[in-house]
Amino acid sequence: MESLIAANIRSRPTRTVISIIAVAMGVVLMLVLGGIVTGTLNDYLQRNMSIGADFILQPSGASIFYAMTGGTLSMRLADLLKQAPGVSIVAPVLAKFSSAEFNLVFGVDLTTYNQLPGRLQVIAGRESLTGDEAIVDELYAKSHHLQPGQSISMLGHNFVLSGICRTGSVVRVFVPLRTLQEMNDSPDKATAMFIKASPDQNLETLHARLKQTLPGYSLIRTSDPSLMLADTRMPGFKELNFTVVFVSMMLSFIVILLAMYTTIFERTREIGILKAMGASRAFIMGIILKESVMICFFGILFGVLLSAIMRKAILAAFPTLQVSMAPLDLLRACALGLAGGTLGALYPAYRAARQDPVKALTYE
Amino acid sequence: MSQADPRCVIQTVGLTMIYRSGKLEVTALRDVDLAVHPGEFVAIMGPSGCGKSTLLHLVGGLLQPTSGHIFIEGVDLAALSDADRTQLRRRRIGMIFQRFNLLPTLSARGNIDLAKKIHGNGAGRVNGIDEIVDMLGIREKLPFRPSELSGGEQQRVAIARALINQPAIVLADEPTGSLDSANSRLVLGMLQRLNETLKQTVIMITHDAEAAAMANRVIEMRDGEILQRVHQFSYEPEFEGLF
Repeated sequence: MESLIAANIRSRPTRTVISIIAVAMGVVLMLVLGGIVTGTLNDYLQRNMSIGADFILQPSGASIFYAMTGGTLSMRLADLLKQAPGVSIVAPVLAKFSSAEFNLVFGVDLTTYNQLPGRLQVIAGRESLTGDEAIVDELYAKSHHLQPGQSISMLGHNFVLSGICRTGSVVRVFVPLRTLQEMNDSPDKATAMFIKASPDQNLETLHARLKQTLPGYSLIRTSDPSLMLADTRMPGFKELNFTVVFVSMMLSFIVILLAMYTTIFERTREIGILKAMGASRAFIMGIILKESVMICFFGILFGVLLSAIMRKAILAAFPTLQVSMAPLDLLRACALGLAGGTLGALYPAYRAARQDPVKALTYE
Repeated sequence: MSQADPRCVIQTVGLTMIYRSGKLEVTALRDVDLAVHPGEFVAIMGPSGCGKSTLLHLVGGLLQPTSGHIFIEGVDLAALSDADRTQLRRRRIGMIFQRFNLLPTLSARGNIDLAKKIHGNGAGRVNGIDEIVDMLGIREKLPFRPSELSGGEQQRVAIARALINQPAIVLADEPTGSLDSANSRLVLGMLQRLNETLKQTVIMITHDAEAAAMANRVIEMRDGEILQRVHQFSYEPEFEGLF
């Protein structure tokens, strides 16, 4: 049987194509922009986890985005923690954001830091970080065309590149902790402390004990990303995510609403004919809703395809950027695109179903 | 409370229809009593604005009367909900219009199939489609869209669509109004033949005396009232005294 829905879609190609593109844009926004946010965050969390510490100690209210937190932890805390039962390694770091490079720099004591499982694996140059020395990762070195022994200027200071480490560390640039503290005029301060528990230590028990010992401090568990997300503060992340989802849904909603609203005016006479033929309100609503679902379906399909292409293009152009596109993200984008479109079609469908058949039949 | 006459397929009692627009009131029908027997072919004639189409729309359940009763096979339309009136129209009434009113996006077959779908009479049953299509001579026109058909062909498709679910009543609103005389004769002949063959009750509005002559009975309307029974042709009602 020839489908009235398919026939209507075919007979209005401009409206159909524009609606499909608009729904697709919503899906792209959700998948690509949302994917960049989620991907970057996940990557950041993963790189924090790759350090191999069990906990990260920060001042209360601090963010896991170290750039947003100054050096406000006293170095004396490190000595205190080292003596705490169940704690094996405490590696303080001072983080400084280089706005010129748009890069985060870690000041570390290499000897302590390298006791952690995620130690810096130097693959070129020397494993040394004293005085004005700096270590950068492969990607940073490659993008800045750097070789060990070369001089680099950062944070208004000249460093000499002592080594290049493997990519995957939490940040791409490391300098000596003491040097960064002096540059920052905060010789006794750290931004965070990476804590490794003793091998036989129960992490939950230790976490509870340390929280009790250090009230008012933030102690983030790094054993899995969800725990990290639960413990840490992500300023604006939820809001940004909500905005992306909301705008995407609104795109589908408004476009389908407008398209179908216009369509029912165009099709007033047809609706009258259907009513004269005995079509029920549910039948007429069904036609409008099914048509919207079909447009949304093609829009989602096109959006997913476009997103996959854009993701590849972004990753090729910006290798350090992460665009997450997990099956769950796809499912969510599809469901929200469809929901937005269907909701947008509800009012026009309702209006169509309630049209006066005689007025509709005489509509010019 | 009026009682339906069991001998009538269509009966109106004291039917009045007043259109209101703000303070303006237009009386389209005044106290109309009409009785139509099963299998009858009735033509309604009268000048524009006399209430013919209003009467047809009321009988088809597309409008609600201001007062009075409309009985379709004994069921009072005024007492039905919108959904029930729609269902009755779907099950028992087929409508034919002057402007054909085919859906332009569907082929001729698509239009006929849609009527079956709305009726809930899906693809499973043949339901006399071959017989009707052959009787109307539109078999080879089925794949074409309305815009690719002549006026006469479009009206024949519209007739097939109205008849496909074998309604008890066919309401035709000036079915030849947009056709040339040759096509008019063809379509009227078909309506007459279908009435005789399928025994459906037909009410046809027309301005054309030649078209009205095809009917068993002609009713003339003026100023919202039925004037008189102009002609009684070959149809002989079993019951007297309905008017």
